[in-house]
Amino acid sequence: MNHHGNGPQAVIAGIGASRQGKFPGSTDLSLATEAVRALIDDCGIDKDAIDGLLTMPGTTSNDSAKHYLELGEHLGINPKVAGSLQMGGATCGALVQQAALYIEAGMAEAVLCVFGDAAKTGGSRFSAAPGRDPSWKNWGMFGNAANSAMGATRHMALYGTTSEQLGWVAVNGRNNASLNPEAVMREPITIEDHQASRWIVEPLHLLDCCLITDGGVAILVTSPERARDLRQPSVSLLGMGQGHTLETLAKKDWWYLPHQQDCISRAYRMAGLSPADIDVAQLYDNFTISVLFWLEHAGFCAPGESGPFVEGGTRIALDGELPLNTAGGNLSESYMQGWLHLVEGVRQMRHGAGVRQVADAETCLVTGRGMTLNTASCLILGRNT
Amino acid sequence: MSTDFTPIPAPSEFSAPFWAAGLEGKLRLQKCDACSHVRFPLDPICPRCLSAQYEWTALSGRGTVQTFIRFQRAYDPSWEDRVPYVVALIQLEEGPVMISNVVGDGALDVKVDDAVEVVYELTSADAALPQFRLTKGG
Repeated sequence: MNHHGNGPQAVIAGIGASRQGKFPGSTDLSLATEAVRALIDDCGIDKDAIDGLLTMPGTTSNDSAKHYLELGEHLGINPKVAGSLQMGGATCGALVQQAALYIEAGMAEAVLCVFGDAAKTGGSRFSAAPGRDPSWKNWGMFGNAANSAMGATRHMALYGTTSEQLGWVAVNGRNNASLNPEAVMREPITIEDHQASRWIVEPLHLLDCCLITDGGVAILVTSPERARDLRQPSVSLLGMGQGHTLETLAKKDWWYLPHQQDCISRAYRMAGLSPADIDVAQLYDNFTISVLFWLEHAGFCAPGESGPFVEGGTRIALDGELPLNTAGGNLSESYMQGWLHLVEGVRQMRHGAGVRQVADAETCLVTGRGMTLNTASCLILGRNT
Repeated sequence: MSTDFTPIPAPSEFSAPFWAAGLEGKLRLQKCDACSHVRFPLDPICPRCLSAQYEWTALSGRGTVQTFIRFQRAYDPSWEDRVPYVVALIQLEEGPVMISNVVGDGALDVKVDDAVEVVYELTSADAALPQFRLTKGG
């Protein structure tokens, strides 16, 4: 074990994903179950040995607060610890953190974290307006892209960031997805395609935006000891962090999401690592601009320098200095709200990513964000040999 | 400017002063009696000191554009006649950042940090929507 720093005595020992795409007749529960079946095939755990169930409800789930009850009945398990959490794209990381703490405290030995959503089949529009009182819809602000577009405009004005630079994030994601047989969008795209795609909300084009898909993902967290009885090499949680700007507009520089920097700093501190120690990154890409912010918040480049950092795509390619979103991400693989980012991070740490494998990768940063951009979580994964 | 469409909500008892202020051309937000914090969004409680005592205070109506986006298509039928339109975060002189629109001459060419002032053109019987226009002469 090359476990160092102050991360928890808990590891990721199993991963599973359903088919990704559009599957009429599927439900959040059926897709989550497909993922759990895939996880059991992956790591060989006996279903009855699962004693923790942490779930993230999908946009098509019946009753979000009781999601774990429905899914538990569906899966036929009676766990020692359970619950559901909704923090959008930050949920996966937060649930794995929660699972790790349950493991470390001895409250459970094998915690299953699960997500499923039939968003495509269910016709989810992701067009709700943010804002509590008054709702921002009074000023015509609709859709998840709008929040991120606000950040993009100011970043462009302050630092000269360009739409073409955003395009390189999309091109990189698609290049990697083209090597991923499970990805929904595999046809390579060019900067010209990106520029020619329609405005969703200016300055974001269609190809700046994530997909909407059906799918499910499952992750198994257990102790290092229990993991030795399972089929796959375990992956360490070297660092874990969260950060939240719940004040929204009242927080200075909300548009820049300063809590994301705090989130990652906390994880670096726990791991005893710095940006230079990260070999591969899975950065939450609900929109291309999000990736630029993460690159700065994670310290891979200075504030304002993320545009030039991604331009041309060489630094972030599979053989670059910081291979990024190596399975295609939310933009091209599938919109599993960050859960597949973690799956790919685990594959990379197992050295099991096939043609997408980053040579000699020992560490991986996985980030997630959600809820009017106000909430962030991250994990630093470490390879065990 | 057309007023045949209105995004103006029916004000609640609590939020009525915010929506009615514009009928007299004023932008009013809550100012905490205990700590003087001027806040947005609207809230019965001061998020800084948790006091429930406040007054609706008139602001200058002046600010700058912290950032903005342009909608080239409507995602709600009530906005179909308005595209393209600008939604912006307005840094108000008194401190709060509020969501609004930039409207009027030159609105579609707005830039970050442009000076703006409040304007009320969309009104109903008991509410007016605070929007902003570019300040003439910067």
